[in-house]
Amino acid sequence: MSDAAPSWHDWLMSDRPASRRQAALGRAYSGWRTFTRNRLAMAGLAIILALILVAVLAGVLAPYSPYEGNLTTSRLLPPSWAHPFGTDDQGRDILSRIIYGSRITLFIVILVAVLAAPIGLLVGTAAGYAGGYVDAALMRVTDIFLAFPRLILALAFVAALGPGIQNAVIAIAITSWPPYARIARAETLTIRQTDYIAAVRLVGASPLRIVLRHVMPLCVPSVIVRVTLDMAGIILTAAGLGFLGLGAQPPMPEWGALIANGRNYVLDQWWVAAAPGAAIFVVSLAFNLLGDGLRDALDPKAER
Amino acid sequence: MSHVTLARPVGRLLRAATLATLLAGTGAAAVLAATPKDTLVVAWAIDDIITMDPAESFEISAGEIMGNTYDRLVRLNIEDPSKLYGDIAQSWTVSEDAKLYTFKLKPNLKFASGNPITAEDVAYSFQRAVKLDKSPAFILTQFGLTKDNVEQKVKAVDPTTVTLEVDKPYAPTLVLNCLSANIAAIVDKKLVESKAQNGDMGYGWLKTNYAGSGPYKIREWRANEILALERNDNYHGEKPKLPRVIYRHVKEAATQRLLLEKGDADIARNLTPQDLQALAASKDIKTTDRPKGTVYYISLNQKNGTLAKPEVRQAFKYLIDYDGLGKTLLKDIGIVHQNFLPVGLLGASTDAPFKLDVDKAKELLAKAGLSNGFKVTMDVRTVQPVQGIAENIQQTAKRAGIDIEIIPGDGRQTLTKYRARNHDIYIGQWGADYWDPHTNADTFARNPNNADDAATKPVAWRNAWDIPELTKQTDAAVLERDAEKRAEMYKKIQAEFRDTSPIAIIYQMNEVAAYRTNVEGLRVGVTSDTTYMFNVSKK
Repeated sequence: MSDAAPSWHDWLMSDRPASRRQAALGRAYSGWRTFTRNRLAMAGLAIILALILVAVLAGVLAPYSPYEGNLTTSRLLPPSWAHPFGTDDQGRDILSRIIYGSRITLFIVILVAVLAAPIGLLVGTAAGYAGGYVDAALMRVTDIFLAFPRLILALAFVAALGPGIQNAVIAIAITSWPPYARIARAETLTIRQTDYIAAVRLVGASPLRIVLRHVMPLCVPSVIVRVTLDMAGIILTAAGLGFLGLGAQPPMPEWGALIANGRNYVLDQWWVAAAPGAAIFVVSLAFNLLGDGLRDALDPKAER
Repeated sequence: MSHVTLARPVGRLLRAATLATLLAGTGAAAVLAATPKDTLVVAWAIDDIITMDPAESFEISAGEIMGNTYDRLVRLNIEDPSKLYGDIAQSWTVSEDAKLYTFKLKPNLKFASGNPITAEDVAYSFQRAVKLDKSPAFILTQFGLTKDNVEQKVKAVDPTTVTLEVDKPYAPTLVLNCLSANIAAIVDKKLVESKAQNGDMGYGWLKTNYAGSGPYKIREWRANEILALERNDNYHGEKPKLPRVIYRHVKEAATQRLLLEKGDADIARNLTPQDLQALAASKDIKTTDRPKGTVYYISLNQKNGTLAKPEVRQAFKYLIDYDGLGKTLLKDIGIVHQNFLPVGLLGASTDAPFKLDVDKAKELLAKAGLSNGFKVTMDVRTVQPVQGIAENIQQTAKRAGIDIEIIPGDGRQTLTKYRARNHDIYIGQWGADYWDPHTNADTFARNPNNADDAATKPVAWRNAWDIPELTKQTDAAVLERDAEKRAEMYKKIQAEFRDTSPIAIIYQMNEVAAYRTNVEGLRVGVTSDTTYMFNVSKK
């Protein structure tokens, strides 16, 4: 048993991998080792795992209903053992609301990542590989989207589509793909010159196949890093929309909306806005730390 | 002018003081400014003022300015606003057929300009208001006055007698109440006509100038900055105790609170319930309040089949936590009220049969065959306390199985949808346009034409509530000459409204003013026109 672990280590770190799978796993393992050496990144990862856990177990963890309060008995109570984060102006327990709110935050973050990253990747690689008019057209569209301030554009979309969490997600996704397109195009421009692409082309692969199977996988790491670093921005944009009343609608306990609600009481009942503010801060910071760690781990040019 | 130039350094001082307070707790009490002894400084959001012309002014803060600077024939008794007293009118009579009103003016009256006030000025003021036909003109034109006939209908018989002829035998209380409104303020004909250009009856000039005879005269108005009043030495009644009143435009409630606490303002007008709660402990500051003529309600669109069921209409009235709201969200800013006539109006009822009773509501819903609940939307303006109330009703309704989806919007969005009858549930407010029960009865209990293309769109119409019987009762109440009988009629209409309407009245607005303890005689008026600064003095 005692020598099983080192042998796994040796197998993964082998200089001469015997199969493609061993090579891929070995590469992932060495990335993970780089990543674990970064303490802050590990802290970020831990917070995000905790967030996922809280979101999944919200029903079990929350001490009260996040939607029902009592105006006469439990309104605007300061933090105490019964209500660790206090209660809000409708008499609802803020801790319970933040716990349920983590679901909404996670939902937004994941959906935006799933929607925006592929769009950016596709536009970027297509533009980079095709070049010429296609490149110019796609990149000018990207430029137009980049030229808009993100929150303003999201505001315009939400105003047109009507407030609501789905529309907020769509609005954020639409405004956050251009940077990914830029990165993917830059990567593609270097990759398309390489010998193995030329070899694939000689073999007779179609442009679609080349882009999907041979270009895109190499762009993915840098896009992942960028997406992770953007997560904080996405959370803040979502919170901003919620704060302006254009994101999640009452009684949904979206964190930004919670702060908007606490704004009226910020002078005398500070805890109403403080707890959701801290939650947004911690999670945004965690995503930033994780993104930094990932960049170090996934960067192919970094020294190993 | 000194106050104006002072404003900036004082603001800086204040910020410094605030910072110091934040840093050192209570250590900064030494930095105390004080307003001049002979000047009253009022911190108030006065950005709604668009004109100083009483024929056009219909805004809240402008209303107060008009009330303090212009005389009218009659004024409301501010202790009992269902009664009136003569202002420049010494006496008045109503003819047998209730169509001709004759006013006798007090002798030897003078405008601030020095011109004498004659019956000619009164007639001119009314004619001018009707001819200019700005937003508040309907208060006069509803009595059958038009641009063409107003010169025959309002006449100066001799220098101190003026007559007004109305088209129907209206209740004299209604007509006189309307004459206490700002639209009926008396302007200086000679002065205004001397400033007239191209026959505009001085409309361009009076926007920013003054031609009245009230206790104060308007010295200066700089939009969104300052409004200064000065004592009118020609005033016919008891002269104001303070020579000057300065309204400072202060938008933020928190800033107003700081100004008041530091003594840079004597009165603060837009404090939030949170501010008031915090100020309650201060020994330098007191508050005074008055229920105003605005009621807040939720209404159910009768075009929605579910909401049109009588049991559902009734159930909603049991799903509002009147008590809880009154003690929390509405504390200081509203009083629970369940009738469409606000307290203070002739005939206003204070009966409040409803309280939060989820079981009763469930029972009613079961009777309507909706024991499994239903889904419905509610259009909500995203301002407090409306949003808070909406969220609370959402919670209580949920307990009875009703899923309310809140659709937020700004005032214009929700109102446009409401006026087009496209909503399910609407939460909003109605403010009295003039101080007579008809103003609210006309909108809540009168719906002469429920068709989609109706000309008038009162609240009852907006909710497609077809009420031929109540409409008849409301029309009859307008023509009842005996004030007591008229009050009884309104009580009856309110009782029926409470029982059957798809509209649940939740509360009546309450206005609070906070003032420093050296200010005396401040009383918030029942309408915006009747907060009288000329009764205020300072120690």
